[in-house]
Amino acid sequence: MALPIAAPMPTPDLIAQFAAHRAYLLRVARLQLRNDELAEDVVQDTLVSALQGAAGFSGKSSVKTWLTGILRHKIVDAIRRKTSAPAFTTLADECQIDDFDALFDATGHWENPPSAWGNPEGDLERREFFDMMDFCLEKLPPNTARVFMMREVMELESDEICKELSITSTNLWVIMYRARMSLRECLEQNWFASKPRPVA
Amino acid sequence: MMLNCKEVSHLVSQRQDGPLTFGERLKMRLHLLLCDACRRFERQAAFLRDAMRRYRE
Repeated sequence: MALPIAAPMPTPDLIAQFAAHRAYLLRVARLQLRNDELAEDVVQDTLVSALQGAAGFSGKSSVKTWLTGILRHKIVDAIRRKTSAPAFTTLADECQIDDFDALFDATGHWENPPSAWGNPEGDLERREFFDMMDFCLEKLPPNTARVFMMREVMELESDEICKELSITSTNLWVIMYRARMSLRECLEQNWFASKPRPVA
Repeated sequence: MMLNCKEVSHLVSQRQDGPLTFGERLKMRLHLLLCDACRRFERQAAFLRDAMRRYRE
């Protein structure tokens, strides 16, 4: 690993922070790539790049955000390399919006209207909630999860995603719709349903 | 032409990824004024996005 000669060494503190975030980076990479070995490699590359570029870390964003940014590029590269065939061979399967038609009746009304979640913001402080998010994310079909994470975690713009994966914006909307509907159902059934109902 | 809940759910989701046309936005807003279920859905979709942002951190 060649460090630029003029660059200062990354501090032990920074290196310790990298190690602390490794588990999180692995989790994101695994969800995106659905391949443990590849995820390990990508995270390894990310940390190596980060060490090489540590001199360039301004400290303006958090270390985690900075590392996630590097990870994003590595994941996109890995997906591109992996799928030299048409980007998503099963995209057509995951592109049907129809499955969620069952949530609505013939006139387009909700069969089971969303229930009140009270003030769910408080749940964002709880570790168990994010374990449940993991559970619900794992239930998504792999390509759907990948696209959803690119948009909501990596925060890529819609047209960036479409370009990277060679899909149309309609494809993207359908995939994102499916992801959101699926996650909402999952959270409602598994997390919010078991909480005491808020009054009115 | 009033939208139904299914159509509104599409627009609520779509809006998170790109702008709606003026007409789509207006019809969606009108439906949301009148429909508790879809108002909840809209709030929950917004919450999901917040949750993913927190997940990132």
